[in-house]
Amino acid sequence: MKTTKVSVLRAMTLRAGLVLTAAAALSACATVKPHQMEHLADPIMAFEADAQEHARELHWIEAREGSTGGAGGAGGGCACN
Amino acid sequence: MQLRGPGLPTLLCLTGAAVMSAPAASDAAVLGLPVEGQDDAYVFQFFSDVDDVRVVTHQNAYGMDFDNGTALQLQILRQTVTVPAVEAAPGSQEAIDAITTASRPIRDIGDAYQDYSRTRHQFDLDVSRPNWAAGYYVSTEEDYFAQMIRAGYNRDFRGRTFNFSTGASYGWDRIDPVEDADSGTGADHRSTAYANAVGTWVLDRDTVLRVGVEHFRVSGLQHNPYRNVYVDGGNLPERHPDSRDRSDFYLRVHRYLPMRASIKLLWKHYFDDWGIGSDTIGARLSQYVGENVVVRYRYRYYRQDQADFYRDEYTEPGGVDGYRTGDFRMGAFDAHLFGTRIHWALRDVFARAGALQGLALQLSYERYFNSNNFSANILEAGFTLDF
Repeated sequence: MKTTKVSVLRAMTLRAGLVLTAAAALSACATVKPHQMEHLADPIMAFEADAQEHARELHWIEAREGSTGGAGGAGGGCACN
Repeated sequence: MQLRGPGLPTLLCLTGAAVMSAPAASDAAVLGLPVEGQDDAYVFQFFSDVDDVRVVTHQNAYGMDFDNGTALQLQILRQTVTVPAVEAAPGSQEAIDAITTASRPIRDIGDAYQDYSRTRHQFDLDVSRPNWAAGYYVSTEEDYFAQMIRAGYNRDFRGRTFNFSTGASYGWDRIDPVEDADSGTGADHRSTAYANAVGTWVLDRDTVLRVGVEHFRVSGLQHNPYRNVYVDGGNLPERHPDSRDRSDFYLRVHRYLPMRASIKLLWKHYFDDWGIGSDTIGARLSQYVGENVVVRYRYRYYRQDQADFYRDEYTEPGGVDGYRTGDFRMGAFDAHLFGTRIHWALRDVFARAGALQGLALQLSYERYFNSNNFSANILEAGFTLDF
C-alpha cells in the first residue's frame, strides 16, 4: 500500500517536471541575440563555475545521504563511505 | 595492486613546477599547437562533524587552452580522513558507528582506542574540444582502488539559445578490506555504468533553464565491509543488495537580477530500486560588492524515504529479504545546509604584476545538519590564477 502511494507520488512528480520542462522549452522560442547575452555571460550566472565545487561537495555529501548521485567510480573508500 | 600517491609537499611542488614551467600564453606552443591561455586553481577544504571525524583535502587543477579549441585539464587531489577512537571493544554494540557511517577497521582491542587515519590520492585528466570531451580518473587509498573513463558530446542549436549534451562513464573499483577483528569480508569489486542527457535553454536575456536526467547502474559490493549490524543480542555483518539502479531528474534555473546579482534555483528528484526516493531544493544568491568582490549565500534542503530493507532494529538474522543495514543513509531523514562564500578578484591589486593580474581568492563556510542529530562544518579556502 505504502509502495503504491510512493510510486504514484513519484509518477506525478516526474510528470509535473516534464510538463514544466516542456512549457519552458516552448517559451524559449523567443529569440535572444548574441549581443543580448551579456548578463548570461557574467561569472555569477555560470553553470561551470559550480562544477568543481559540486564535485568536492558530492564526495562528502554522498557519505552522508542515501541518494546523492551515484558512485561513478568516485572511490571514497570505506572509512568515509 | 595499489598505486602510491605523492605526499603533500610533492603534490604542491609538482603543481608549482607545472605552473612555473608552463609556456607563456602569448607566444607558446605545445606539440606545435599555439597556447591561448592557462589557469590554475588550488583549494584547501576542512571538514569536521559532530563525531569529530575530520577530512582535510588539498586539490589542484591546472588547465591549458589551445588556439584550435582543444583544452586539457589535469587535476590532483590529496585527502586525509581521520576517524576518532571508537572507545569500545571490537564486536561490541558501541563499536558500531551508525550515525556517521564512518565505521573503521579495528585490528585488535588496543587499536580501538586510537584515532584511525587514512589518505586518498586522486588524479584526473580531461581532454575537450568545443563539441566533445573525454576523461580518465583514478583514485587510490589503503583499501580502495577506483578507475573511471568518461566521454561526452554537446551541440548548440537555434542561434546558441539551446544546447543539448549527453555523456556516459564507466567506473570499476577494487575493494581490499584491511585486517579487521570483527568482520571477514574478502576482496571484492564494484562497477558503475552512468549515462545522462541535459538540455539548456536561454529563456530570455536574463534567464537560463537547465534540465537533466541521469541513470546509474551499480553492481558489486555496496555495503561497508567493516560495519556490523546489531541483531537480537549479537552482531552480524552488514549486507546490502549487489545491484542498484539509480535515476534522477533535475531542473536548474539561473536568473540575473538587478543591482548585479543572480539567483540560482535547483530542484532534483531521485529514486532507486532499493526503495529510496528523495527531493533536493536549493538556492544560491550571488551579489557583487564593489567591482571585484562577489558574496554568495546558499541554502539547500534535502529529504529522503527509507530503503525497503531498512529497520531501526532487526529481530531476525536474515534481516529483510536477506539484507540488513546499520547505515543511517538507508533510513528516512531530512537535512539542511546553509553557507556563505566570498570571491575576491585581485586584478586591481596586481594591476602591474603581470601574471598575477589573474589571481582571485575565495573563502567559504557551510553548516550542514540533519534530523539524525548529525551536524558538520565545512571550511574552504583557495585561489584561482588565469594567465
